[in-house]
Amino acid sequence: MGTLSFLILFPLIVAGVLLVVRNDRARGVIVTVSAVAIAAGSIALAVQYLTGSAVHFEFESEAVSLAALGIDLLISLFIIFVGLKHKQYLAVALAAIQAAIVVWFDLGPAHAIVVENNLYVDTLSVIMALIIGIIGSGICVYAIGYMRDFAQHHADVPDRRPMFFAVMFLFLSAMFGVVFSNNLSWLFTAWEVTTVCSFLLIGYTRTPEATNNAFLQIVMNLAGGLGFAIAIAWIGTQFGTLELSGLISLGLSGAATVVPVLLLAFAAMTKAAQMPFHTWLLGAMVAPTPTSALLHSSTMVKAGVFLLLKLSPVLGLSLAGHWNVAGITVQLVGGVTFLMCSLAAITQSNAKRVLAYSTIANLGLITACAGIGTSEAVWAAIFLIIFHAAAKSLLFLCVGTAEHHIGSRDIEDMDGLFTSMPSLARFMVIGIAGMFIAPFGMLVSKWAALGAFVDSGNIILVFLLVFGSAATFFFWAKWLAKVTAIAGPASDLEASIRTEEWASIALMALLTVLAAVAFPLISSAVVVPYLGEIFPAVSLAISQGNLMIMAAMAALLAIILGSTLGRARASKRDLPVYMGGVGISEGVTAFSGSLGDATPASTRNWYLESYLGEGRLSRIGTVVSVVLLICGLAAALIFGSVM
Amino acid sequence: MASVIGFLGFVIFAPVAGALLAGIDRRITARMQGRVGPPILQPYYDVRKLIEKDDRSVNAVQGVYVAMYLMFAIIAGAIFFSGGNFLLCIFVLTLSSLFFIIAGYSTRSPYAEAGAAREMLQVMAYEPMVLLVAIGFYLASGSFDVSAIATTGSPMIFSLPLVFLGFVYVLTIKLRKSPFDLSTSHHAHQELVKGITTEMSGRTLAMVEVTHWYENIFFLGWVALFFVTGSGASIALAIVVAAVIYFLEILIDNNFARVKWSAMFESAWLVALVLGFVNLIVFYI
Repeated sequence: MGTLSFLILFPLIVAGVLLVVRNDRARGVIVTVSAVAIAAGSIALAVQYLTGSAVHFEFESEAVSLAALGIDLLISLFIIFVGLKHKQYLAVALAAIQAAIVVWFDLGPAHAIVVENNLYVDTLSVIMALIIGIIGSGICVYAIGYMRDFAQHHADVPDRRPMFFAVMFLFLSAMFGVVFSNNLSWLFTAWEVTTVCSFLLIGYTRTPEATNNAFLQIVMNLAGGLGFAIAIAWIGTQFGTLELSGLISLGLSGAATVVPVLLLAFAAMTKAAQMPFHTWLLGAMVAPTPTSALLHSSTMVKAGVFLLLKLSPVLGLSLAGHWNVAGITVQLVGGVTFLMCSLAAITQSNAKRVLAYSTIANLGLITACAGIGTSEAVWAAIFLIIFHAAAKSLLFLCVGTAEHHIGSRDIEDMDGLFTSMPSLARFMVIGIAGMFIAPFGMLVSKWAALGAFVDSGNIILVFLLVFGSAATFFFWAKWLAKVTAIAGPASDLEASIRTEEWASIALMALLTVLAAVAFPLISSAVVVPYLGEIFPAVSLAISQGNLMIMAAMAALLAIILGSTLGRARASKRDLPVYMGGVGISEGVTAFSGSLGDATPASTRNWYLESYLGEGRLSRIGTVVSVVLLICGLAAALIFGSVM
Repeated sequence: MASVIGFLGFVIFAPVAGALLAGIDRRITARMQGRVGPPILQPYYDVRKLIEKDDRSVNAVQGVYVAMYLMFAIIAGAIFFSGGNFLLCIFVLTLSSLFFIIAGYSTRSPYAEAGAAREMLQVMAYEPMVLLVAIGFYLASGSFDVSAIATTGSPMIFSLPLVFLGFVYVLTIKLRKSPFDLSTSHHAHQELVKGITTEMSGRTLAMVEVTHWYENIFFLGWVALFFVTGSGASIALAIVVAAVIYFLEILIDNNFARVKWSAMFESAWLVALVLGFVNLIVFYI
């Protein structure tokens, strides 16, 4: 309980301090020390609660409930204020409606409801806390160096770093609130705080583009928040409870929870950037890279899939053994998002945009798994969350650092990174490999997802996954190929990379490899016991033996590549490449043209735009997912009481 | 016990069988083209000569990548022939292909890069159908384990005829046979220099050849798995079918010119979608 309050309150206090500290060095020290403290706190929490059954805390506090209501209102007022200022009336309207519902409910029906357990800890929330506490605060450390460079590179942007770091820590605090709240009202407050934090971080540079994208984000997430608020009011008035655990046990005992569960899932899917709400996460790219890393790996979108996983027992097939309209809707939206975004990633050469599409696609996979809601699907989803958090933050940090040193975030410009930034390129290779290739975690989790999809009886989902994962191979492999190409003699652009950046990048790389090697252990010691508490019987898509083979291969690969692709040998260049004529091999790939001039040869990756126009894919995905959501909600409202 | 025999059998005898198969392939191809053709052991002589050559290359890492390509192809095949998980061996095989692609790209030679990019596209083209084969086996036999699939009693071909057809279609891509030999080819007349292997020579090229031997036997094993039921007669039948399919591939190879990448990609996905869906939907209704 103490650790738990520490994790929620400590970042909050740090945020307050950072808001007033103007000195660069002092800020660096505070951020580093606090990040270590938060990481240590999350590890301490893991030691206490990682492998045990869920612990609920009464923690009866009228003051906290009042504060939550106050924060809700403050958020609404803030949004109404900035919305009016920027003439974004949709955001204003959504915030006003939401505030009205919250006030009506809290002052009226909520008073009659007794909440027994406001807070809780279970294995899933500990796993999330580790991700937030280690990866999230690691990104904050990275941001120290990055934002110093950023301020120098963008002299035109007002330096608002105190606010930036304060919001980063506020974000961490809110995320801890999300994963520990059993009281849905509290959960909602934390949920809305994460929305506002993203808004502030995305709009950091205050350019028109940044402001527009920040509003795109907040409008979409307010729509989700509205769904959340209605769900709370529905649950409160219909079932007389406000507890997440209560809702789930009601659902499992056969109560008609389909509508509120679907509304909560809707809120979660907006947060997890599922189609048709994927555009906000793509727009969020305008923010400085640490923001993207934080949003994609350990916060915001992970709050969405976390809630979906919590709901998975009442979404999925395990509920009374028959299909459930909420579950089917979630499955299909996730599946469609996975396929469309995997294909769209092929057409992109902007590294951050590829990463964004890949995040959305993977969240789609997790969403689909949550919608299936069997033990093997949830097993896959938990591992997808873990591995995605580590590998994706690693990649964002690498891209951010590369961008500051080669002056571009275009994958085509990463040609030869293997020689010009040898260490960074190798870290990037670990991240890319971690995302899509056996024996690393994401692929193993995808394998488990495939097994779960096949067993779910939803053949459409199987096909969405099969084609989507072929596309995944293509867009990662061509990026990996660009990074590993050996072009020209070694030059060193790495000297000026800051220590904070190296430390965070190395940490993420270590986590990616460690998680892959420790996979069988994490599965048997942590995840399987957890699933045993939720599901009557746990079946797994991948046997422990096969997990061991994968882990052994991961270790083998790490050792072989680590020892053979060292810096010295990689720069050896024996023969010139064949150029179909007189080749010139002095640092560039060129040939002697007919007039004796050196003609450089350049090659580009394939982007298949004629097939997979980004716009077309996005339109198809949007139409399909909107239709799915509307039909799902309509079906839930009409048949909800009987299903 | 059977799994140990399968494991060692593949690791030791697959290159022998693969070399002979390549020799027979070249002989039959020559006859189809009105030539006499080289001795059956010519592929073996070629590789031996390559190994004796000077070890020179455009960079030092290419050899490492190609060695990984060979190693993971062997591991994938060994998993298959020792009765392991079919999906696992697909994923390990994909890893092996990835190393081949990286080896091509690492040189930054335009020709090798063009070939490597095409190889990447080939992987994307055949991957859905290959995964559907695995899913088909699982739905028909209740397991992803090759040992269980091979001993179900009723041959897989009875329940997965369309999946089999789809697999034979993408097998042409996997064997890098014309019309789908986009990344590299033995046919000089339609080659863009030498595609992905442009910058490979000596021992590195020898490893590529040996990997092909392993791969070909491995893929024919997949064909055979559609017919094996555990009895000796079924194994004999499966070997005959695999031989017939390989002959068919040679026939196709010699009768079609290389197609554009888009034709390969579109047709492979369409085949997977139509044949796969029509066949697998049976298990869901």
